[in-house]
Amino acid sequence: MPTTNVTYLSVTSTFHTRLLAFVLTAIALTIFGIKVFQYNYPLTPGTQTTTWDFEIYLDFDTANQPVRIETFVPSNSDTRRVSQEQYYNGAFGLRLETDDDNGRKAIWTYRYPNDRKVLRYRARLEGETQRSPLPAEMHRPADRAPPESLNDLERQAFLVWSSDMRRRSADDDSLAELILQEIFVQKDADEIEALLPVLPPPLDRLTLAAEALQSQGIRARVANGVYLDEARRRTEVQHWLEYHVDGRDKRYFIGSDPKEFFTIWYGTEEMIRADGVFDFEPQVSIQPIDSSASDVMRKAARADRTPVELFSFDRLPVTTQLVYQVLITIPAGIVLLVFMRQFIGIETLGTFMPILIGIAFRETALLNGLILFTLLVALGLAMRFYLEKLRLLLVPRLAVVLIFIVICMAVIAQMFNSANMRMGLSISLFPMVILTMTIERMSIMWEEYSPEDAIKAGAGSMLVASLSYLVMTNKHIEFLLFNFPELLLVLMAACLLMGKYTGLRLSEIRRFRELAKEAEPK
Amino acid sequence: MIKTWLGLRRAGVLGINERNLRLINDYNPRRLMRLVDDKTETKRLANAAGIQTPELYGLIRSPAEMRKLETLLNHPDGCVIKPANGSQGNGIQVILGPMRGGWRRSNGQRALLEDLKFHVNNILSGMYSLSGQPDIAMIEYRVKFDDVFDPISFGGVPDIRIIVLRGIPFVAMVRLPTAESDGKANLHKGGVGVGLDLVTGRTLYGMQKGKTTDIHPDTANPLSNISVPHWDEMLLMAAKAYDVTGLGYLGADIVLDKGKGPMLLELNARPGLAIQVANRMGVRPLIEACMKADTEGLNAEQRVELGKKLYREHVPDHVLV
Repeated sequence: MPTTNVTYLSVTSTFHTRLLAFVLTAIALTIFGIKVFQYNYPLTPGTQTTTWDFEIYLDFDTANQPVRIETFVPSNSDTRRVSQEQYYNGAFGLRLETDDDNGRKAIWTYRYPNDRKVLRYRARLEGETQRSPLPAEMHRPADRAPPESLNDLERQAFLVWSSDMRRRSADDDSLAELILQEIFVQKDADEIEALLPVLPPPLDRLTLAAEALQSQGIRARVANGVYLDEARRRTEVQHWLEYHVDGRDKRYFIGSDPKEFFTIWYGTEEMIRADGVFDFEPQVSIQPIDSSASDVMRKAARADRTPVELFSFDRLPVTTQLVYQVLITIPAGIVLLVFMRQFIGIETLGTFMPILIGIAFRETALLNGLILFTLLVALGLAMRFYLEKLRLLLVPRLAVVLIFIVICMAVIAQMFNSANMRMGLSISLFPMVILTMTIERMSIMWEEYSPEDAIKAGAGSMLVASLSYLVMTNKHIEFLLFNFPELLLVLMAACLLMGKYTGLRLSEIRRFRELAKEAEPK
Repeated sequence: MIKTWLGLRRAGVLGINERNLRLINDYNPRRLMRLVDDKTETKRLANAAGIQTPELYGLIRSPAEMRKLETLLNHPDGCVIKPANGSQGNGIQVILGPMRGGWRRSNGQRALLEDLKFHVNNILSGMYSLSGQPDIAMIEYRVKFDDVFDPISFGGVPDIRIIVLRGIPFVAMVRLPTAESDGKANLHKGGVGVGLDLVTGRTLYGMQKGKTTDIHPDTANPLSNISVPHWDEMLLMAAKAYDVTGLGYLGADIVLDKGKGPMLLELNARPGLAIQVANRMGVRPLIEACMKADTEGLNAEQRVELGKKLYREHVPDHVLV
């Protein structure tokens, strides 16, 4: 009897689904409950994020010859806090060298290594701000002498220029202001160009400024470190100037002042120097941690090695953690997408395309992303319709559109770059394959259905992409999922239950509304 | 909004979610879907069971077989070129017959051999197939439409869709081309759907773009009270389609040829829900009845009678007025 079989199957599968959803939710909430009630995990991200996870990750190839890698590492001092330092040395020998003038260096050596090696340094940093005091040695008076590196002629020019500065200022404070102004703001002055030491920018100007200030009896030096602004998998080393004038500690940053930063070393040396390696890929990453939250977790993990520790990303390297911080929010976006499709009935281009677009928005931020995406899709569609006239085969046509998109992106990046907008640079990370597929699907819809349908689906995709972006970047959702990954099971259960929804979609209530009138009881 | 929703529940209107879960998932095993996605396979099965389909003149499976195209096109009655795995009428070219230097298209324009070769190439490269997979081009008999629908169609191909559950035909409509739909009977392109009385084959009301209408938008003739000829034969074809494919839930698309009578054009394993609007009723009561009905040992004729009986029992009064 096929009939009863079918009904039987349908009923048990519904029961089965509900049971599975219930079990998954129960497991997740149990782990969640243990974490919250027994180990006091916090449920919301803290407000203060002045503690940062800092990591130097060195990845390189060796070829059986002695290797020596030196890198400056953060150090404790009366003004700065570094804690929980960890060195991952592998078979390398590690030596730490502290030099009062420059900073602390970690030196890894190995005589006959082979294969690919990885070295890692990890620590927790307390961020510094503009108000943080400078180290005590900066408070000693400076000796007034022109820099020694100059030849006689340059020395003459330097003296003329610095005495001119002195004449035009009232006191040390305004003198310092004037010198910095002259070097960093009115960049085109010829005499400055002539005086610049042979160093990569911006170190050349910073060094000149430090020397100029020193020559006027103002203690100054070039400081190097990182800006602590947001989680970054690859952060750039930054350079700035610190000086002490009229009993006050000051720092001069090129461009706008960072909210938080951390000073790692002084002088013009490079941060990392490597000998005897190939394919060297140093990576410096930073990630804010809510100190109260992570300390509690650390304590819980240390106290007794409970199974809940397994459900945490805290012990992974910072770079991996950052990847998972992005990955783990994707299911939240997917649940939203399922809801929008099954309950609201929003048409989108492709099943998971909106999620991919939403992830792409992370690179560009929402508004810029929407503008860029719409612009590129419109350009691509125009190209696609032109190609339609040439009657090309499918795959070559897709390739032409893809190349066209890359060209458009390059042109837009150039335009924004010359207009000095950061948006232009973020676009280069925008996934172009997603763009090409969107264009292709939209143009097929355009022809097979109608322009309105295509635009409607495009707008629907944008809407779902924007909402999923907002969900995926929501601080609380990110915090919850990252610290309680077991909640993914709850999301899975939600999808299971939605997979058994047989009711009308919101869009269908509109579509069939005329039928409701017919059924009015007379 | 809530009121509309309650009204729709009372009317037994089926949504896409429910169709996917309760009908397609439960009644149409994936391995059987292939039989209807590939129109050459459908044709073979239907012909074996004595269901009439447009005669197949030939297939072009690869660019190497392109040589055959010219002879196939030269059929004096004209022909139709269509992708074997196409959907929603995309990629179909109608050739009325040879004309000087080429062939006459249904819109009167001349098509050169080169144009048609390009079109066939597009079909082969999968431009019109469901998932972009390489496809086969079919060249087949051009149906000469019966003039029964002439007053209420505009330039093109009227066809009849009958939906069958467990071999029981239970709801039907006729789809009429309009100027807006560009000669195609697809409802989402602006074609008019007209509900049919399942027992008599008489037209009821119409709908276009989700809105009910009583007249054809181009010819302004009333849509109702036209009797579809060979109605019982069509219902029988639809019921037999279940026997040959095994698909529990399917839509049969049938056209009416002037000389040869009804012909099965294609079968659809995922028929849509617009038929509810065309018939001005929700189909859940009928579906529940078909699910419960005892079909053990019934042949196609008996299932047609069963369908008529269920339709009489469950159709709301306002539909047949």
